[in-house]
This record gives sequence, structure tokens and C-alpha cells, in this order.
Amino acid sequence: MRMRLVGGAALGLATALVLSSCGSSAPSTEGGDQAADGGQVTLKMVAADYGDGPGKPNSGETFWKGVVDEFQAANPNIKVDVQVINWNDIDTQVATMVQNGQVPDILQTGDYSGFVADQLLYKVDEVLSPATSADMLEKFAEFGKVDGTGYGIPFVSSARALFYNKELFAKAKITDPPKTWDELKAAAEKLKAAGVSQPFGLPLGQEEAQAESFLWMLGNGGGYKDDAGKWAINSPQNVETFGYLKGLVDAGLTTPNPGTKDRKTVWEDFGAGKVGMVNGGPMSIPIFDAAGLKDYGVAPIAGKAGPLDTTLGVMDWIMAFNKNGHAAEIKKFFDFFYTGTAAQKISDTYKLLPVTKGGIDKLSGDEKLKPFLDGLPNASFYPFQDPKWAEVNPQIKQIIGGAVKDDPAKVLGELQKTAEAS
Amino acid sequence: MRRLRALEPLAWVGPAVVLIAVVVLWPVVEMIRSSFLQISRVGIVRGFNGLDNYDKLFAEKDFADVMVRSVIWVVAVVALTVLISLALAQLFNQRFPGRKVARWALIAPWAASVLMTAIVFKWMLDPEVGVINQIRLKLGLIDAMGGASADQLGDASTAMPWLVFVAVFVSVPFTTYALLAGLATIPTDVYEAAKMDGASWIRTYWSITLPLLRPALTVAALINVMNVFNSFPIIWAMTHGQPGYSTATSTILMFILKGSDIGESAAMSVVNFGMVLVITALFLKISRWNRAVA
Repeated sequence: MRMRLVGGAALGLATALVLSSCGSSAPSTEGGDQAADGGQVTLKMVAADYGDGPGKPNSGETFWKGVVDEFQAANPNIKVDVQVINWNDIDTQVATMVQNGQVPDILQTGDYSGFVADQLLYKVDEVLSPATSADMLEKFAEFGKVDGTGYGIPFVSSARALFYNKELFAKAKITDPPKTWDELKAAAEKLKAAGVSQPFGLPLGQEEAQAESFLWMLGNGGGYKDDAGKWAINSPQNVETFGYLKGLVDAGLTTPNPGTKDRKTVWEDFGAGKVGMVNGGPMSIPIFDAAGLKDYGVAPIAGKAGPLDTTLGVMDWIMAFNKNGHAAEIKKFFDFFYTGTAAQKISDTYKLLPVTKGGIDKLSGDEKLKPFLDGLPNASFYPFQDPKWAEVNPQIKQIIGGAVKDDPAKVLGELQKTAEAS
Repeated sequence: MRRLRALEPLAWVGPAVVLIAVVVLWPVVEMIRSSFLQISRVGIVRGFNGLDNYDKLFAEKDFADVMVRSVIWVVAVVALTVLISLALAQLFNQRFPGRKVARWALIAPWAASVLMTAIVFKWMLDPEVGVINQIRLKLGLIDAMGGASADQLGDASTAMPWLVFVAVFVSVPFTTYALLAGLATIPTDVYEAAKMDGASWIRTYWSITLPLLRPALTVAALINVMNVFNSFPIIWAMTHGQPGYSTATSTILMFILKGSDIGESAAMSVVNFGMVLVITALFLKISRWNRAVA
């Protein structure tokens, strides 16, 4: 009898453990609903970490705590719970939340377009006041729209330019940064002759091959899509572009085996003085500084016939989910974020560029950021609103490096096929 | 009362059964189910997708290459691991000064995280600053740092051997210890008998040591087969399966697909799972594991 009781208890306990472990991931909805305690509302927010991770002085937790404390002091009825997730995990974790029906009220991450088709998001004008909307750069806000309706709100942005090592340029007797492809090749040859192992840093590896490729495509009037919005990855211009790059690679004027190199590695090599020129952005400046490189210049990216009048713009987004029905509170928070000091603080802390006209004005005095700010209003973007981009992008990251090693037309043709597959 | 008592064993094995069902069986079922679903990239299930995920997977240009490479990868890593471990186990079974230290030292690659080991090797192979390339430069094997010749992980033909090397490096300790334990179970009198009969060293090893070692060898090799087949961190940390897919195994392909199509990725997982089952069954059949030894 005694034994049986113990056995039963063990089974019961195990069952309870199993059940509770399943249950622990269930939402704690109490705070999320219109509670009875005087209209107190809790907004659940999920945000990506632009800093160096938990515990670091620039961590996302620290940043958002500052913002939220200030907001809550001004709005005692609204509580904001921020969960900060690193970039590697945020997509999968958010996907899990969506799958389990525990969506946050506010999400800040790299893309919004995946949530639109399933009608998970508030429209922008439901959660953003007209004054704040009007301050957004038009081109940016335009990319927040799907079929004419805005869902994504630009959060921060970034642009690219050409960085060159002035010391190495002096050593190779090059006076000006290259403006055209011919000048770039000539400069690379001089750098090579002066003993620079990677005259041009060319990261076409997994980390961000789609960015480097796009910058080169823009230099020849190409891109992932043509002017009519059709996929044009294997357009004659792009094939020519990669043919030119292949020439550089074959002559040993770039990073070896570009298709296996991540941008972080190449930026670190640039910081260490091993690379003559590299395409980078404001976010590479801290890496160069950390490596001790002081004497570098920033110039517009060279194109086939002249410097680019556009650049790659990358935007991150903030968006509001409609499941919990907190539009009014979310609106207050967004307006607070964009009109107060928070938006500027994020630019200052993480060297990210603003998305509002007011924000750009405030930063225009910064010499190092000027080339990037100048490029912003006319920036070009990935075709990320096209649902196919989600499949094309990983494929580009994996194989586009082959276009500078094997036959460019063949590799670009494969990517085109992926993009066109139904 | 008596009937209740008959149920008692159930209460004792119940928790384990429940645990296995929840932790092992349920994910398998869920994996197979996902492979037939169309799932949007943000996690919304769009409905039943029939065999489309599988069709798409099998139509991937690199699928066949990746599967062949996975098999070669498993065979190469496990064969080398077992051969090296057999020799090492024999060595460590001898009495020699410092044996204890040597045995402890062997644990290091095992105790270190596999991901860490892979990253350390990636750094050692860095074309600009890697220590292995600096040694090669001093030996005159390469002309300069930073060029294509110093970039062994950049090309599949030189990257693959390094990946295999690292995989063997992290698998050898466990295998050696398993075999060492096996050697310890062989009674000394059979060796004495062999000596009396005047058997040569090779003959003794072939006819006595190896057959008696078979249970340990089978278990060690089998665990390695499954481990290596599912091995992810080494290849991912060192090459991401690049250039292209030329160093990717099926596990790497599964992970890459996860970024674009979860359903197709699940289909790849199911194929992977099936492969492991088939390889295991084949392996057990070949090694006749359940036949009485000696």
C-alpha cells in the first residue's frame, strides 16, 4: 500500500512536471489585457540588440530601460515590458511567439513584410500620429508599405560608402580615392605592387554577400530587379559587373576566395592595415577604431563610369501587432520615441543613421557621417517587400561568391531561376 | 487491491515512458508533420502541402552532391577516427612512465566545446594572421600571407581535409576511451595461451584482440556514425558550407533551408533521420552486433 502510494505520487509528480514544463511557455496574459486596476496597460515589446550583448554598457537592455523609465514617468498608466533578443535568434524566437499565438504588442527588428500577409499588424496610421509620420524620410516610409498601405515604421537606417586606408594609399603613391572601375583597378594594382595583400576587401561570403553584390550592381546601373520591378539578377549589366569583379579576383587584387569571406573578417583585416579599400558603413567605424586604424578616408563608392549617386540603404523597422488591441497606448509610445531624445540617442550610441528629417539635420555636423547622410535620401534598397526575397536572399548569401570564381552568367542565372520559381 | 498491485510497475516506468514520449517521440512526429505543411517564414502554418516540400528539396541543384558528400564525410571521419583510436588505445594500454598524464591529456579535445575547437582552428588557418600559415610561410610552403595559397578554407579541395581533420580530432578521445575500456575486459590468459602456441604479434592482434574488442568497437563506431552524420558546429563555424554548397553536408543544408522555407527544411530533417536509420541498420547488419562473440 505504501509502495503504491509512492509510485502513484511519482507518476503524478512526473506528469505535473511535464505538464508544467509545457505550460511554462504559455503567456502570462494578466498584464496584457485591460486590467481592472485603474486602466493600467502593459505593452509587451520585443527588440533586437544593437549593442555588444547583455551586461555590456551599450546593451539593448540598458538602452531600452532608459527609454522606458522616461516614458513611464510621463505615462503612469502604461507599463512597457521590453525583451531584448540578439540578432541571431530574434527571427526564430519571434516566429515561435507567432506560432504559439503570443505575439508582442511592439516588435523592433530587421523586417516587417513577413507579417503583413497574415494580417498581424496595425496599419501605420493607426499607431503613428500625422506629425511624426510627416517627419519620416518619404523614401523610407514608402518602403514600409505593402500594396500602398503602410505597416512598417522605419526605425534606424544605415548606408554604405568606400573606406580607404590613407597610409597605404600614400605608400602606393595614390592621391585620390578611385571614382571609376578603371581607376579602382589601377589603384588596386599599385597597392598590390606596394605589398598590400588585399588591395580591395571583397566579402561575398555568407554574412552579407547580398549587400556587397548590390553595391557593385548599382555601379553599373543594375540591381536585383529592373525598373519595371521584374527580377533581373542575371541582367547583362550584372553579368558584366561580376565579370569585372572576377577579373580583379583572378589578378589577386581582392580578398582571396571572396565567396567564403564574411564582412566582419574583412573589416577587421582593414582595421589591421591589411586591406587598401573596402565598402563599409557607419557600423564599421567602431571596428576600425578598435583595431587601432586612425588614418582612413571615406568616399562615395566607385561605379563603372563614375561615383555612385545612390548607395545601399538598410533599414530596420518597428511595428505594432493588432492582437491585443493596444493601438492608443502604442501610439503614445511611438510618438514619445520619435519626438523625444530616444531616436537621437540610438543613433549616437550605435552609430546608426536616423530615419527622420529632423534626425538627419541634428547629425549633419558630424564629418565622418556626412558621406552616409548625403547618400540616405537617394538610397537604394533590397527588394525585401517581394515575398520571394526571403528565398532569394539566403541563396545569394550562399552561392553568389561563385560568380567571381566560375562563370558569372551561370551563377546569376541560377539565382534568377530561384527568384522566378513559383 | 491485487489488481491495483499489478499496475504498480506501470507507475514506476510511467515517468520514463512519459518523458521519452514527450522528449523523443513527440518531436519526431512533429518533424514529420511539419515536412508536409506549408509554413510561412514568420511561423504561420498555411496548410497541408502534400509532397511539395519533398519535391522542392529533391529538385535543389545541390541536393545530390550534398547527400553524397555527407556519406563520404561520415565514412572518412569514422574510419580515420576508429583506426587512430585503435592504435592510441593499444598505446595507452601499455605501461609506460607518464601514462596517467598522457591519458588525461587525451581528454582535452573531448572536454573542450566542439564549436570552440572549430573556431580555434579557423583562426589558426586565417590567411592573414593564422599560426598554421605562419608556419607554412617559414617552411617555404607558401610565398606570402594573405593570398589565395594561404587561404585553405576558401577552397573545397583544401577545406574538406581540414574539416575532416578537426572532426577526427574531436572524436578520437571518446573512441579511444571506449576501446581502452574494451581492452581492459580481455582476460590475460588468452594472451598467455597464444604466447605458448607461438603466435606472432600480428596474429595475436588479429585473432584475439580484435574479435574480443568487437562489442566495444561496434558501440564506439556506431555512436560516432550518428554523431558525425549530425555534426553541425565544425562545418558551420569553419566554412558555412561555402564556397557555394561545396563543403556542406545534409545537416548544413537543413540549417540553410530553415532560413528560407521551414517546410522544406523539415523535409530535409526527415531525409536525414531516415539516412541515420538506414546507415545504423546497415552498420549493425554488417558488424553482426547481436551474434555471440568468441
